[in-house]
Amino acid sequence: MPNPRIFKPEEPWQAPEGEPIIRIENVSKRFGDFYAVDDVSLHIHAGEFFSLLGPSGCGKTTLLRMLAGFEIPTEGRIFIDGQDMTAVAPYERSVNMMFQSYALFPHMNVADNIAFGLKQEGMPKAERETRVAEMLSLVQIEKLASRKPHQLSGGQRQRVALARALAKHPKILLLDEPLGALDKKLREQTQFELVNIQERLGITFIVVTHDQEEAMTMSSRIALMRDGRVEQVDPPRRLYEYPASRYAADFIGSVNLLEGFVLSQEDNRVLVRSEEAGIDLEVIHSHPLIAGTPVTLAVRPEKVRLQNAESSLPNRLRGVIKEIAYLGDVSIYHVELPTGKRIQFTQSNIQALAEQPLTWDEEVELGWPANSCGVLEQ
Amino acid sequence: MKRFPFTAWDAGRRAMPLLSRLKGRGLIIGVPWFWLGLFFLLPFLFVLKISLAEPALAQPPYTDLIEVIGDGLVSISLNFGNYVLLWDDPLYRGALFGSIQIAAVSTLVCLLLGYPMAYAIARAPSHWRLPLLMLVILPFWTSFLIRVYAWIGILKGNGLLNNFLLWTGLIDQPLEILHTPLAVYIGIVYSYLPFVVLPLYATLIRLDLTLLEAAADLGCRPWKQFLLITLPLSLPGVIAGGMLVFIPVVGEFVIPDLLGGPDTLMIGKLMWTEFFSNKDWPLASSLAAVLLVVLIVPFVALRHFEQKAGEEQP
Amino acid sequence: MKTLYPRIKTLALALSLTAAAQASAQELHVYNWSDYIAEDTVANFEQQTGIDVVYDVYDSNEVAEAKLLAGQSGYDLVFPTARPFADRHIQAGLYQKLDKSKLDRWDNLDPVILESLTDIDPGNQYLVPYMWGTTGIGYNVDKVKAILGDDMPLDTWRLVFDPEIVAKLSECGVALMDDATEVFVAARAYLGKPVDDFSRDAVAEAADVVSAVRPHIRYFHSSQYINDLANGDICVAHGYSGDVLQARDRADEADNGVSVAYAVPSEGAVVWTDVMVIPADAPNPEAAHQFINYLLDPAVIAPITDYVAYANANAAAEALIDPEIRADAGIYPPAETREKLLVLKTPSEREIRDMNRAWTRVKTGQ
Repeated sequence: MPNPRIFKPEEPWQAPEGEPIIRIENVSKRFGDFYAVDDVSLHIHAGEFFSLLGPSGCGKTTLLRMLAGFEIPTEGRIFIDGQDMTAVAPYERSVNMMFQSYALFPHMNVADNIAFGLKQEGMPKAERETRVAEMLSLVQIEKLASRKPHQLSGGQRQRVALARALAKHPKILLLDEPLGALDKKLREQTQFELVNIQERLGITFIVVTHDQEEAMTMSSRIALMRDGRVEQVDPPRRLYEYPASRYAADFIGSVNLLEGFVLSQEDNRVLVRSEEAGIDLEVIHSHPLIAGTPVTLAVRPEKVRLQNAESSLPNRLRGVIKEIAYLGDVSIYHVELPTGKRIQFTQSNIQALAEQPLTWDEEVELGWPANSCGVLEQ
Repeated sequence: MKRFPFTAWDAGRRAMPLLSRLKGRGLIIGVPWFWLGLFFLLPFLFVLKISLAEPALAQPPYTDLIEVIGDGLVSISLNFGNYVLLWDDPLYRGALFGSIQIAAVSTLVCLLLGYPMAYAIARAPSHWRLPLLMLVILPFWTSFLIRVYAWIGILKGNGLLNNFLLWTGLIDQPLEILHTPLAVYIGIVYSYLPFVVLPLYATLIRLDLTLLEAAADLGCRPWKQFLLITLPLSLPGVIAGGMLVFIPVVGEFVIPDLLGGPDTLMIGKLMWTEFFSNKDWPLASSLAAVLLVVLIVPFVALRHFEQKAGEEQP
Repeated sequence: MKTLYPRIKTLALALSLTAAAQASAQELHVYNWSDYIAEDTVANFEQQTGIDVVYDVYDSNEVAEAKLLAGQSGYDLVFPTARPFADRHIQAGLYQKLDKSKLDRWDNLDPVILESLTDIDPGNQYLVPYMWGTTGIGYNVDKVKAILGDDMPLDTWRLVFDPEIVAKLSECGVALMDDATEVFVAARAYLGKPVDDFSRDAVAEAADVVSAVRPHIRYFHSSQYINDLANGDICVAHGYSGDVLQARDRADEADNGVSVAYAVPSEGAVVWTDVMVIPADAPNPEAAHQFINYLLDPAVIAPITDYVAYANANAAAEALIDPEIRADAGIYPPAETREKLLVLKTPSEREIRDMNRAWTRVKTGQ
């Protein structure tokens, strides 16, 4: 593991003795010659809000469907709660799923949709009604109980789908793009509600999403997937700050990438010569690197700061502002270095008003702390 | 069936100025109404008119309802006797009941056979569906009459079926199938099966399979998935297919006449007798009118159901 | 009366929307029973006269009648059965009078037959007799004798109306015609009651006879028995003379060991005559007269009799008929048989309806 960070000791995935609730071991799924999922191993722990993140076609949904039992792995095994569930039928699994399309039964009203799973397990009527009421209030749609799905808005359907999937009190809830069909504002609002519900019920959530912002907001950990493989599994913050690959760095947020090679390493202080930057750059990196190793440095735009007289940041670069994108809360500036390389940096607009605003073709000096930069080995 | 949502319809109507509404929309709605009026309502009124006349030895063989008696006097004579006769005479009630019974049983059998067929086709790999559907439709390329005649050859005393069964040793006496109700049912079910399979296929192929996954995910076993999800959601297809069989079979004439025995009493046959043998066009017409009314009831029920289902699956 | 194909084909004809096309001066529209003319008759006429003949066929009087009653049939010449069809058509005014000046071969017609039609057509103004025949019993000689023994006389209605005998025969198959008048008249002949009584009581008596044997009757049909007799699928059928003889010939041709015979029952059997008529609204009556006159030619009508196995009404043609046909008692019954033949009286419309409805009840066992 590169660059250890202090984590709260109670994070479940860090306790080596803790038995994960889901063990995915070397699972592959092949459709014809195509590997949708390619040798994936993951441990997911009870109480996690775990996201499978990646672009469409990366295998995240196939992986989720294998957890639900809709697909059977071509190779490898899946353990849920210590039991081998690799080939167990979906109706015999203790996991429930919320579908991307919600898959509400169009011929049943909201209450009957929610009660469906309970009826299947033969829960007595009185208890069932209590449970349905509980679920309706959990997702705040008490008044919609007798509506049919076609009489509901998109957001209301999403809540019904969630309530239905939660009704059986599963230990694990699988959510396939749970917010994908909602508009932006509703999506942001619902993200927090989902997290609240998950924390309140203590259920393990496994969410498939292609939206990195959504994954970052909600997840305890994110598995970033690409072409059927898992690229990196980390908490959002770590994934963002210390991407393990160019792909990870690029997929999550925006990033400045600078090519170079290692000049020297003293303790964890590494000097990298970058022709793109035109200078030698200083970074903190604990993993031993041999001089001459080609590396890519990744710097988030918000870590890049304007230099002034007092500041003494390393990695000083001069350049000219070529583009300014005003986003309301922040502005993004593109600065062209003498080498032709462009560096992005963001600045909060409160600051911009206080000082003299930056304009086009203005020459600026940039810099960033040595510990704000990731080192990606090839 | 995709239906125009009524809310949007009403909103559009309110928003549109009256005049342009009359021009554009009225014209478009008018076409089917005109068609119905010309080819359904008008002929039906003719039938109704004849049913109120009396048979006569003339050309055409019934009396005029309106007669000019001279001195500007016009006499209108309506004869409701035919309807009274239809109600009073157990023969006609029996025929109607018999027809409905045969139609109901045939419809049920068609559905029981057609549903699994439609289901299998809808769930078959996509490159198999078209050939399988073609196999269902293919018999239509041969004349209906020839196909019914072929059944005579199959079912008769020394026909294919009996010879085969005798050859296998399953029976030692030819089975009496031709000219029995069983033969009528075989002929009807054979002839009308595609009318059930096609609409059922159309509904089943549209069924969202994730609904079944959702049901499975909630602990529902495959057989119950079918009962609780697939079957209720395919009900519009069941009803459409059922009506496509039931309605024509009630009036079916050819199959019972060719394959049935003398005791197969169906309304179509009675109408034939009244029209051709008895030259009693008025009575035949009143039979037709009564039959139409009897058939309109399930049809209206179907429309009602379809409309409801249409709202459910927007 | 002549039926070959099951009635169903005629239904299709009756329902077909295409009435005969508009006739031009050079077109003649003929509407005749199926297989009721020789193969070259029409072609020869066309050659002689240059008139195009549009030749349509039907399989039941009812279907032809329905077209005539509806009007605008477009036909110039039709061949209905005299009783009861042509009879009531004359009363309904469906026909036009013949112009005998255009029928110079009229005298070839058998005066006895012409005379027999005068009660329904006084002065022979409308009807030209074409063919005639009887309705009797066709049977499979070997099978019936095997069941009933050699001593049992077979020229009797008991073969189809005596419950004991029909029960015995039912295993090899007994068929009755699907025709109320024919069956009820035969049943009354079997009872020895007057056959021209169509009162409700008389019909009820006849219906009881049929009801008693109904459980043993394989089917009621007016043409299917031809094939089934020939194939040996049934062994007794109530049917038209020519049709039964056709079944006999088919069985002979197939050489399948089935021998079919025709009998005129000794209790009496219906004799019928098919006639040629010109509809009142015929587009081309001139050509129709030419065609009638052509058919009155002994050299034309004799080969038709040879071909269709029905006796014609042309006295002058007798010498030209194939001697084998002429000698066939089924086609030209001997004098003692002729005495047993019954001429049908035309029932009233009400009587026909009552009879047909009673018939439906009997058949269906209601």
